[in-house]
Amino acid sequence: MNAALAAIAAVLALTLVKATPLIYAALGGVLSERSGVINIGLEGIMIAGAFTSVAVSGATGSPVAGALAGIAAGALLAAVLAFGATRLGVDQIVAGTGLNIAALAAAAFGIVLVYHQPGASREVPGFGRGGELTLIALAFATAVLLHIVLQRTPWGLHVRACGEDPSAAEAAGIDALRTRFIAVVTGGAIASLGGVYLSLAELDLYSDGMTAGRGFIALAAVIFGRWTPLGATGAALFFGFFSALQFALQRTGVPSELMQALPYAAAVVALAGFAGRVRAPAADGVPYVRH
Amino acid sequence: MTLRGFLRGRTFRDLAVVTVLVFGVGSVAMLLAHVSPIDGFGALFDGAFGTPEEFAETLVQTTNLLFPALGIAVAFRAGLFNIGAEGQLILGGFAAGWLGAAVPLPAFVALPMVLAAGALAGGIWGAIPGFLRARFAANEVIATLMLNVIAFLLATYLVNGPLALAGAGPSETPTLPHAAQLPDLLTGSRLTWAFVIALALALFLRWLLFRTIFGYELRAAGDAPEAAKRAGIDLGRTALVAMSISGAIAGLGGATIVSGELHRFNTGLSPGYGFIAIAVALVGSLDPLWIVAAAFAFGVLQSGGIAMQAEAGVPRDVVSLVTGLVIIALAGRRVVAARRTT
Repeated sequence: MNAALAAIAAVLALTLVKATPLIYAALGGVLSERSGVINIGLEGIMIAGAFTSVAVSGATGSPVAGALAGIAAGALLAAVLAFGATRLGVDQIVAGTGLNIAALAAAAFGIVLVYHQPGASREVPGFGRGGELTLIALAFATAVLLHIVLQRTPWGLHVRACGEDPSAAEAAGIDALRTRFIAVVTGGAIASLGGVYLSLAELDLYSDGMTAGRGFIALAAVIFGRWTPLGATGAALFFGFFSALQFALQRTGVPSELMQALPYAAAVVALAGFAGRVRAPAADGVPYVRH
Repeated sequence: MTLRGFLRGRTFRDLAVVTVLVFGVGSVAMLLAHVSPIDGFGALFDGAFGTPEEFAETLVQTTNLLFPALGIAVAFRAGLFNIGAEGQLILGGFAAGWLGAAVPLPAFVALPMVLAAGALAGGIWGAIPGFLRARFAANEVIATLMLNVIAFLLATYLVNGPLALAGAGPSETPTLPHAAQLPDLLTGSRLTWAFVIALALALFLRWLLFRTIFGYELRAAGDAPEAAKRAGIDLGRTALVAMSISGAIAGLGGATIVSGELHRFNTGLSPGYGFIAIAVALVGSLDPLWIVAAAFAFGVLQSGGIAMQAEAGVPRDVVSLVTGLVIIALAGRRVVAARRTT
């Protein structure tokens, strides 16, 4: 009985660990998409956060400095996407795809330059247990805060207006392009914390491919959570739970590939509307051009 | 087209951007790695063109990029963002490798059936997001993105689990019988008739997209969906057909890698051809003939990158970095109009 309880407790604890990076990335995605910009580049932004925070923590010996640098790197990548999407009218999907490829390669190249070895960095000063718990708690706090900002503040209303109908928003005196830019960059900063968590709280190093598609699972969580901060957090916990369960069931013969595929399959099903009414912001992914 | 018209055109501007990115970013990266760009690019081009075998490998990489890029172009032309070529290619490769190794096929039909199986599997994997888009207006970008991962996990599960075959290594199928292998074009290299098939396919698609009513309707659905709808074009049907064709072409590409180069399916058969192919399709202006040229350029980078790393000590990641930047730089072109009206 005690063994069973311990096993359940272990799965739940692991759920939090697995869900936290997804929560950050998904919240970044929610903010971006609610303003009308689809951020396919979440994966690349997580990579930028993970790599930069490790490089800076290794160089300065301060994980906090590393985390701040990681957030800055994620915000910078998001700014590239945001600038292209709002000012240059580039296609968000294509640019986001390129961003993922470029970020992965730049980090791999950076590892060779900084550590003179391919594949992974050396171990760097990380956050330790206390810092990890703080980051986990901060993820949930960010979710609640984002919910309040989107639903209860004028700026949140502006963001949602830009995601539904940017022309009408502009007619009401909102600068849609600026609002979208700020939302995407802030979203990038939030999402990069998912990468920072992976590298400085879970592993204390960067290794190539360590984000392992979490940015895409986060996109799935955004949809499954119906584009709301709390919904996306719930979806991230759900996907984190399955990821934790996978470890628990490793020796039971349940095929791990099928369990890993679950978040992705759930997103496809949700997209098709089989999981109740799911509606994206009306102007999600639609470039806004002033006339 | 006159020379002046060409120099003013978008294609030329794109080529200039790409050239600047490749040599500019490449040089900076090489300098950061303490390698002279002359040595670095020297090793790259030597690795891509130095010997007949190396040139053959460049054409192999060209072929592997050409199939998914042509598939992507068909979908993009129809206004559909198929970023699922990677998954379609992997499942096509799996279907080809499994059928060829598991089912004793008569010699004269083995090769066509193996290739057809790849096209069919890729086509089905492309048809799923096409159907979801047509029937439920589901965003095909997210769907294809998710289906990429599902395809990889599904192939890994099947090849190691329920469809595992005797005599195969982990995550592999056994060697295909000789009759199911694409013949070599150049002995001693991995270059096979897949290259010729890809070129023929490019010509066929050029004709299909620009010289037939079907191609006209497909492009109309992409360029001006509202007008196309009013003119009686069934947008849902077009989405389903375009995505199926797109997936089938990528799946055929996976089958040619299995049947020609590797002679077996392996879950690691693609180093991301389906994603690099997005850059190829964009650089090629979504025109099958230009895409052949773009695939060759990226083929040079892919095969030369290996030599650049081995001979000059520049990490191969520079090639991927440049590829990603090319995609970002060319994201400005108006690829898809359809998404803006849904």
